[in-house]
Amino acid sequence: MTTAKNIEHTDTTSLEQAVLRRHAEQQYAEELAELAKHDTRQRPPNWQLSPWAVRTYLMGGTLKNGFVITPKYVGNARLIEIAVATLATDRALLLYGVPGTAKSWVSEHLAAAIMGDSTLLIQGTAGTDENAIRYGWNYARLLVEGPSEAALVVSPMMNAMQEGKIARIEELTRIPSEVQDTLITILSEKTLPIPELNTEAQAHKGFNVIATANNRDKGVNELSSALMRRFNTVILPLPDSIDEEIQIVDQRVTSLGRALELPAEKPALEEIRRVVTIFRELRSGLTIDGKTRLKSPSGTLSTAEAISVINSGLAMAGYYGDGILNASDLAASLTGAILKDPVQDRVVWLEYLQTVVKDREGWKDLYRSFNEVL
Amino acid sequence: MTIHVFGIRHHGPGCARSLRAALLKLEPDILLIEGPPDAQDMLPFIQNPAMKPPVALLIYAPDQPAKAVYYPFTDYSPEWQALKYAHSANVPARFIDLPQAIQLAQVTHEEQDKEEPLAGSEGETESNPTNSDVLTLPQSGQSEEEQQIQLHDDPLSLLAQAAGYTDHELWWERQIEQRQDMVGFFESILEAMTELRINRPPKDEHEAQREASMRQNIRVAQREGFQRIAVVCGAWHAPVLVDPGPDKADAELLHGLKRIKVASTWIPWTNSRLAYRSGYGAGVEAPGWYAHLWSVKDRNAIRWITKAARLLRKNDLDASSASVIEAVRLSEALSAMRDLTQPGLAEHNEAIQTVLCHGDSAPMDLIRTKMEIGEKLGQVPQDVPAVPLQHDLEQLQRRLRLKPSAEHKQLELDLREKNERARSQLLHRLHLLGIPWGEIMPVRNKKGTFWEYWQLQWKVEFSLTIIEANIWGNTIETATTAYLNDAASKQPELPQLTHLLKGALLAELPVAIAQLLKEIQKRATITADVRHLMDALPPLAQIARYSDVRQTRAEDILPIIDGLFERSLIGLPGACASLDDEAAAGMLTSIDHVMESIQLLDLAEQRTHWNRTLRRIAESENIHGLVRGHCCRLLLDQQALNNDEIQNLINLALASAVPTAQAAAWIEGILHGNGVRILHQDNLWLALDRWQSELAADTFTALLPILRRAFANFQPPERRQMGEKVKRLHQPASQRITGASGQGPILHPAHADLVLPLLAQIMGVSYGN
Repeated sequence: MTTAKNIEHTDTTSLEQAVLRRHAEQQYAEELAELAKHDTRQRPPNWQLSPWAVRTYLMGGTLKNGFVITPKYVGNARLIEIAVATLATDRALLLYGVPGTAKSWVSEHLAAAIMGDSTLLIQGTAGTDENAIRYGWNYARLLVEGPSEAALVVSPMMNAMQEGKIARIEELTRIPSEVQDTLITILSEKTLPIPELNTEAQAHKGFNVIATANNRDKGVNELSSALMRRFNTVILPLPDSIDEEIQIVDQRVTSLGRALELPAEKPALEEIRRVVTIFRELRSGLTIDGKTRLKSPSGTLSTAEAISVINSGLAMAGYYGDGILNASDLAASLTGAILKDPVQDRVVWLEYLQTVVKDREGWKDLYRSFNEVL
Repeated sequence: MTIHVFGIRHHGPGCARSLRAALLKLEPDILLIEGPPDAQDMLPFIQNPAMKPPVALLIYAPDQPAKAVYYPFTDYSPEWQALKYAHSANVPARFIDLPQAIQLAQVTHEEQDKEEPLAGSEGETESNPTNSDVLTLPQSGQSEEEQQIQLHDDPLSLLAQAAGYTDHELWWERQIEQRQDMVGFFESILEAMTELRINRPPKDEHEAQREASMRQNIRVAQREGFQRIAVVCGAWHAPVLVDPGPDKADAELLHGLKRIKVASTWIPWTNSRLAYRSGYGAGVEAPGWYAHLWSVKDRNAIRWITKAARLLRKNDLDASSASVIEAVRLSEALSAMRDLTQPGLAEHNEAIQTVLCHGDSAPMDLIRTKMEIGEKLGQVPQDVPAVPLQHDLEQLQRRLRLKPSAEHKQLELDLREKNERARSQLLHRLHLLGIPWGEIMPVRNKKGTFWEYWQLQWKVEFSLTIIEANIWGNTIETATTAYLNDAASKQPELPQLTHLLKGALLAELPVAIAQLLKEIQKRATITADVRHLMDALPPLAQIARYSDVRQTRAEDILPIIDGLFERSLIGLPGACASLDDEAAAGMLTSIDHVMESIQLLDLAEQRTHWNRTLRRIAESENIHGLVRGHCCRLLLDQQALNNDEIQNLINLALASAVPTAQAAAWIEGILHGNGVRILHQDNLWLALDRWQSELAADTFTALLPILRRAFANFQPPERRQMGEKVKRLHQPASQRITGASGQGPILHPAHADLVLPLLAQIMGVSYGN
């Protein structure tokens, strides 16, 4: 019995190492364990950590024994406090914002810290149907046995309700409106009727929902006000200051680079600063010194995109370059990230190159590389 | 005999509440309050029922009204509560600070000039620790030296930092104002302050003098034999007043200080002015919230959020009671997470935004202005002494011989006369301050730009407006300037700014004009909307054109006009591209504005550039017909096109390949404006006629509304002339057309011959032979 368990254990760890991206609760298992050890404050029912410890987990900090918790979210601590307090008061949380503002990231880590489980996930798409939120049927069984508990295919939502955990819904606004409505009863009555079996699944203490949605996309299904009212909405902003944004990019690039095992060196902060500067300037339509107005391209130019630009630059440098990130490695992916519309964005980008990049001190290499790509 | 010192923060509801309780318990026989003894005579007004806070004590030098100090009071000001108590308990209350007669005498002219007209407050606030101007959050990047300075100005931050707060205001708020337990409140403040002031002498001589003066006044009360003396002062001063000791040093310090004559009065104050931080040091960030804390005894969280929900509902935003419950819960959970005893304003705001506003920050502005600041204007009794602004106005009225009267009166001003110009200036200034004593009328029967007609009528409510306007400054000039500067900083759009500028120029306010020009230039460089630039031109051009009458400096304005004009030229062709009908109509107005400004200035170079741009627009294909047509028209009016060019443009615009809707819009554009001038453009009418007769019947019906609209703006006589023109259009040319096309009426010479003799007889000429 013990050996069997051991084997199973080693199996999962090797499996874990092979996966591309581990769940938050696995990747930060040590931090979560340390936090739980030192967490003496009151925990809401079924929570693994107290709200204070959850905040520390997200915002980072040092425990009494000197153990350092890395920050997961760089930005306004008050927003995280609102999010945690929302979940603690038994209200559903909606994280809203433009793409690439760490909504899913925060949602995953909140679930990991509060429940130790971030896997009860429903991915919202235009094709998400009621079964994904309520329950489905194992039709073979249904035909043989008729409706029974055993024939029921439980959704992550139902699972979360029964176990008193947090269910996550990604891209809530992509789910068709009539399917969204299913959530209303779940959130207000905290119960899921199963008329076929003449029974219901009642939510246990600790159950809650974290949804994410972005407000930039077109062709999404606006939330009805009835549903909106059942969520507390926290809007995650784009990073305030350039230094904050650089820190985010640096941190993510480092951890992703490790996961992808890129053969390139960690990029110099200066290179990150240049990319972030370009992103921020184009996004805000104003140069950092506030002197020149710029046109903004059609894309969002989020922090997440800056991260992926640097990552692909690193891959270029690692596989085809000298292993050190430089301007020419960045040029292709950066241009691709900005030119979302081949006509309009091109004008914007050319103007930016001519008026800003060309004359900026120390940016000559960037200017040359960009012109080669265009 | 005992002295009880109550260290307070100005405008702190918690302090005020504790103070009232403490006074009721102590029952002092005299109250000494940190305030200007100059205003002692003003204290009886407090019991007047017409006195409604927020109000301010205004102390000023009558001969230089710009020298002034304001002491604002509101319901929850501890000083106000102390005065109220003194009145109800029938014990004397005295102000004990260094008289403003001395303090104002120390203010040099330079300092006064540097200060904004609104910010004449050095008395109460300057050296007060609880409300210092230098409210900066300690930042990590600060140098040590900076921190040193800040600590000296702001000693409370030491305590706050010790308690782990970065913002000492927040610390005070949490620790003092929201405290529920009042036991030992003032003792602990005193103790903390005593600790702070060990080895920390008064900041400067000025503060030393003020503290000496307060001690001296306490001694006076002692000598008069009062038994329980209550002293209410800023917390910072409390420790040095506890034991006055021997008076020798203080007497020396105060000996021989220069005085000036001052007068004082009450003026109404506003909540937003209480919140005004930069000018008035004792600013409270959220007067509405404080008033709420003051007036509501229990469950202030529920009441505040309910109030917010009702406000949102009134503005057509959803806010259900269920959401209010959730917001209150969230706010309480937040305060628990932050280890607070009860939620503060920040928690409430976050809860309201998260739950009631669905994360949206826009409605929070509403809550900020309507609730946190909570616009409220105080009231003062009728019989308080007149405000300095009133004095200034009366003086001007006497000097300019303009008597206020309730009857309608006509006034005709010749601006070339110095005295009459000053009158016009005064009327314009009052207008800006919201006192429309005179209404300007259109000038009739007189040529020349130097005439102004006014209709005067003084209304009683103006005196009230004057009292209110006193907030802006103590003379008409400074008040108007301050008002304009404030308005300028609030106006985001160029056209409104130029409108203000126009007012400022008429009122001849050089400081405000300079400020406005600066703002306009700043706004112009970042304005993306070309139309704003264009719309800003006419008032500026008017000013530049008529500057000689008003003697404003045209050379200041011309560079700005040039800048705006050039930007408009560059941006215009681009801005004309892909407009819809509505935007095109708007563009038409803006183009007319530029034209107007060019006509006014009549600079050859500008005109050339402008006409070149107009021509470019008129000739480009992908611009809305209305705009193209109108550019043609403007060129026609200036005779900038020769006949061939006109014909060419018309042919292009009305060619059969052009979509009919665009052609119709073009017609509307070219007809827009003065009707008579277009009357003689034969080639236009001919082309129009041809184009119309070639239209298919149903297309014609479809276009009829546009065509009708094109003619609708003309006067009936103009329209009639046009109709006749069209009727006759073919007569002189008819033969040519007949000859050319052979489609004219067919003549029968034989029949005609029969008539001719009779005709000859009638006309008295010989026919035939």
